Amino acid sequence: MRSRFRGHLITKAVLVPVMLWLAVSPAAGQVQVPRIPRMPDNKPNFTGVWQALGTAYWDIQDHSPQAGPFYQLGAIGAIPGGQGIVEGNEIPYQPWAAEKKKENFANRLMLDPELKCYLPGVPRATYMPFPFQIIQSQSDLVIVYEYRTANRVINVVKRREPAVDTWMGISNGHWEGDTLIVEVTGLNGESWFDRVGNFASENLRIVERYSFADPDHLNYEATIEDKTVFARPWKISLPLYRRKERNAQLTEFKCVEFTEELIYGHLRKQTNK
Amino acid sequence: MSPRFRTSILMLAVAIAFVALAIVSAAGQARPSTPAKPAAKTAPAAKTVTPPKTPWGDPDLQGIYVSDDLMDTSLERPAEFGERLYFTEDELARAAAQLAKEAEADLQEFVRPNARVSTGPPGHWGERARRPPRQTSLIVDPPNGRMPPLTPEGQKRQAESAARQTALSPQRPPASWEDYDFYIRCITRGLAGSILPSSYDNGTQIVQAPGYVTLLHEKVHEARIIPLDKRPHVGQNVRSYLGDSRGHWEGNTLVVETTNFLDNRTGIGRNGNGIPTSDALRLVERFTRVDINTMHYELTIDDPKIYTRPWKVAFPITQEPGYELFEYTCHETNYGMTNSLSGARAEERAAEAAKQK
Repeated sequence: MRSRFRGHLITKAVLVPVMLWLAVSPAAGQVQVPRIPRMPDNKPNFTGVWQALGTAYWDIQDHSPQAGPFYQLGAIGAIPGGQGIVEGNEIPYQPWAAEKKKENFANRLMLDPELKCYLPGVPRATYMPFPFQIIQSQSDLVIVYEYRTANRVINVVKRREPAVDTWMGISNGHWEGDTLIVEVTGLNGESWFDRVGNFASENLRIVERYSFADPDHLNYEATIEDKTVFARPWKISLPLYRRKERNAQLTEFKCVEFTEELIYGHLRKQTNK
Repeated sequence: MSPRFRTSILMLAVAIAFVALAIVSAAGQARPSTPAKPAAKTAPAAKTVTPPKTPWGDPDLQGIYVSDDLMDTSLERPAEFGERLYFTEDELARAAAQLAKEAEADLQEFVRPNARVSTGPPGHWGERARRPPRQTSLIVDPPNGRMPPLTPEGQKRQAESAARQTALSPQRPPASWEDYDFYIRCITRGLAGSILPSSYDNGTQIVQAPGYVTLLHEKVHEARIIPLDKRPHVGQNVRSYLGDSRGHWEGNTLVVETTNFLDNRTGIGRNGNGIPTSDALRLVERFTRVDINTMHYELTIDDPKIYTRPWKVAFPITQEPGYELFEYTCHETNYGMTNSLSGARAEERAAEAAKQK
């Protein structure tokens, strides 16, 4: 009796640590990325300054280099070529929408909301040529984009329904293992996807997925649904790079004042008349 | 609130400010024959609660706070209050009655017969204080609640600022957008202007992460990220409207020091109005949770090029049930700017045409 009890204790001494180890290990079959930063509750910690590289901000589809619209800017104003971020490289526009995209392209120097420093919307904010910073609390997250100080809260604890359509929409998040899934709705459809006129409507719904590839890289994916504009949902994916400069931080980019001459210049008082 | 009505709301705010000023003056003039009872309960409790901690051990300040209760409190104290920072119980009771009257008026579905109406939006479109403000001014130091004397440069900028304000009249219509302040242009309200109470959209959301505190200001859609890791400020040549902030904890108080401001942009006033500060400006903010719903906010202004000594603004900000931040798309819908400028040009054309006749 006594020795059996002792044997039991020994078994426990071995088993308990093993069980504890299993409990903090990922579920069977799930690959865990080593040494990524984690919150006290072991969720991945996305806090940091991130930025997309590549040329998706010009065109989310594959594109060749080309001259820019202003010859005075020479090579500085030229448009670099690059690989797109659309899976399969095809955006399944409905026929009317394919026509509208062509019109947008033709009139992009008047219509692109970025020209006027308008809020960038989602997902465009993610791959503009500016860094953004994620602030992750024990519950919700905030993303602050350098461009125009655009920002959004990702509600994780308490879901928020959009009361009105807005440029940045309403973001609700949840975790699936180490992946943060964010559903963005309530978008007003005024934003574009890039500088060549890819667009959606106010019926746009986006599901984003953020996960670590390694401690300094995130995998970003977004599924794009809009029954008004597209024949089927489609997907973009790209890596996000951690800004590694010492004390990396966002720099204020209040571009409104850089656009006032463009927007209101024709209404300036003419003094030499 | 829809930004489209911003201009109307601004006009409304001016009207409200006048009414509030009248009330405050009336309160000050109605000197009671017996000395006013010292307001025992009016001063905020000196003790502060120990706030909850975040899982990583920082004091947890998170939530959405508003400064609505002080929307009618002036920055500088009306002279008749002298060095008295808090209203008496009698004065508070009168203010509470006034708020109750406003609340009742807000519920009226129809305008009274023969009421004077304006083309502005109805009063209930704006925010209201939820309880009477206890302070006689937002400035708490100097003790008289007034800004300290200005330096010669400060006096010069004050005169320029006043000239700009009077410039926008039918006699002197705007020549361009540059005649308007940075708020009307939808650029920013500056750091102080983003948290000082105004007539609506006074929300500030605080979100913390290990090593950071973030403030999201509802109007004009601002975000401030404050590192807590004691890193040095960015270089002197990196300057911005909202400056470069660094934070640290003193007990349960978040202390934020901000430098690297642009010269001669916004001032320390509602919506960033007031005398434009200089590139020597250094702001120190202190955030202390005094009870579960109340944060004591303090802002010390040190700008030796403009003011002859540092001065301090302090007031409570509160969490209110159901308050949410809405996207403030100011610039995208700044029809007011287009309309003001095109109206000014149209009037010039009409005047020119009249001269030709």
